[in-house]
Amino acid sequence: MNPAVPTWAGVAASLALVAAAIAIAWRQRLHLAREITIAAARAGIQLAAVGAILLLVFRHGGLAGAAGWLTLMVIIAGQVAARRARGLPRALPVATAAVAAATVATMGTLLALGVISTQARVVIPVGGMVVSGAMAAAAVTLTRLREEAAAARPAIETRLCLGQPATDAFAPHLHAALRTALIPSIDSTKTVGLISLPGAMTGLILAGVSPLTAIRYQIVVMYMLVAAAALAALTAARLAARALFDDAHRLRPLPAPTAKDHR
Amino acid sequence: MTSGTPVLFSLEQVTVRRGGTLLLDEVTCQIPAGACTAITGPSGAGKTTLLRLLNRLDEPDAGRVCLDGRALPDLNVLALRRRVALVAQAPVLLTGRVLDELRAGQPSLSEDQAAGLLEQAGLPSGMLDRGTAGLSGGEAQRLCLARALAARPQVLLLDEPTSALDAASARAIEQLAASFTAAGGTVVLVSHDTVLTCRIAARTLELRAGRLTVTGPAPHTADLKERP
Repeated sequence: MNPAVPTWAGVAASLALVAAAIAIAWRQRLHLAREITIAAARAGIQLAAVGAILLLVFRHGGLAGAAGWLTLMVIIAGQVAARRARGLPRALPVATAAVAAATVATMGTLLALGVISTQARVVIPVGGMVVSGAMAAAAVTLTRLREEAAAARPAIETRLCLGQPATDAFAPHLHAALRTALIPSIDSTKTVGLISLPGAMTGLILAGVSPLTAIRYQIVVMYMLVAAAALAALTAARLAARALFDDAHRLRPLPAPTAKDHR
Repeated sequence: MTSGTPVLFSLEQVTVRRGGTLLLDEVTCQIPAGACTAITGPSGAGKTTLLRLLNRLDEPDAGRVCLDGRALPDLNVLALRRRVALVAQAPVLLTGRVLDELRAGQPSLSEDQAAGLLEQAGLPSGMLDRGTAGLSGGEAQRLCLARALAARPQVLLLDEPTSALDAASARAIEQLAASFTAAGGTVVLVSHDTVLTCRIAARTLELRAGRLTVTGPAPHTADLKERP
């Protein structure tokens, strides 16, 4: 066994840290002790279940099993991103299509070029990172688009009144939303290794891989995450912009954002 | 309407509902070509909704709106909006410079044509290079009107064009509307300002709670004094 990986006894011992957090919450009367207990229990159960299923997929599923697993992740990610964009017309199919397009294009390229192995144990974690990055970019894009469409309705309708088609009338707002969605991904690519050691590299180093080997993986991960974010944001923006307008180039009515939408 | 006056818009049993609220209730009326028609009535009566139907910024839930006898959905909506220009109540400027603002209405506009449009709206023709951020409310509203005219529309839809303006700006807009109809254009004006309505409108449509209550020629300014 790799000595860098904790034993089950070690996992149990780390519960002491949860106990400390609960104790602080209780002493400070934060009314969070129950929440922390539930969160810790959920994390343990969810990860144990995922570990067991992954073990099965790795042993018996092959590439088809990995594709099935990624499909499930895309569906869940679509739902999460769509929830952020509540009130946007056709938010669920738009978000799901954006995450799916980004995942298929990015993973397809990595597999077709032979950059990563087709083994399920490689495809699933790498695909998970792609889905997660695509989901975050799609969610920010859709949220910003909905806010832009609601706040800038007078400017958009002014352009429509000048005879501009919906795509032209909405273009400045679409570009603003895309920039907002892509900046975090670009910034983290710029500062990778300087501010924090990224997840994939940390995982490989903990597993005993040489740092010089680990960075090769991390470089691929950073490049694929930028691509996934860009593809997801662009697909989400294009599809959502179409859904925001009807055939007569009219901006559809949008519900006012609520406090819940910003959570 | 006087027999023989060509009808530009006709509304037939038009109903508009939004979120359970009835905004227009089976409105049937005609708007003549080449004249100024005022839509009057209290706030919330459905005046702006009616105006927005005329360039398909809104769609009726029932009934139909026709232009020159053709239902609006049968026309190309982008061409319709260039032909039927709408100027909103609150001025919305889209660019940072006066000339660019006018070119938002017509990208191929020359500087001479742009200066001409400014003069038409009662603004100094030398302000083409000025920034739009420092314009007063009256200047911004007149610039919006000049921008709408840049596309050479046949119809001007004006939503409360003088409600927040000083007397000089209001007068300039009034003159522009009058000269637009004198040149054969059609103006449809939503206004609370009864005096303005009497001065420039040939005909009024009065709405109350989404229903058309009065339709006919606009009263003369002198008639207002007789009202209680």
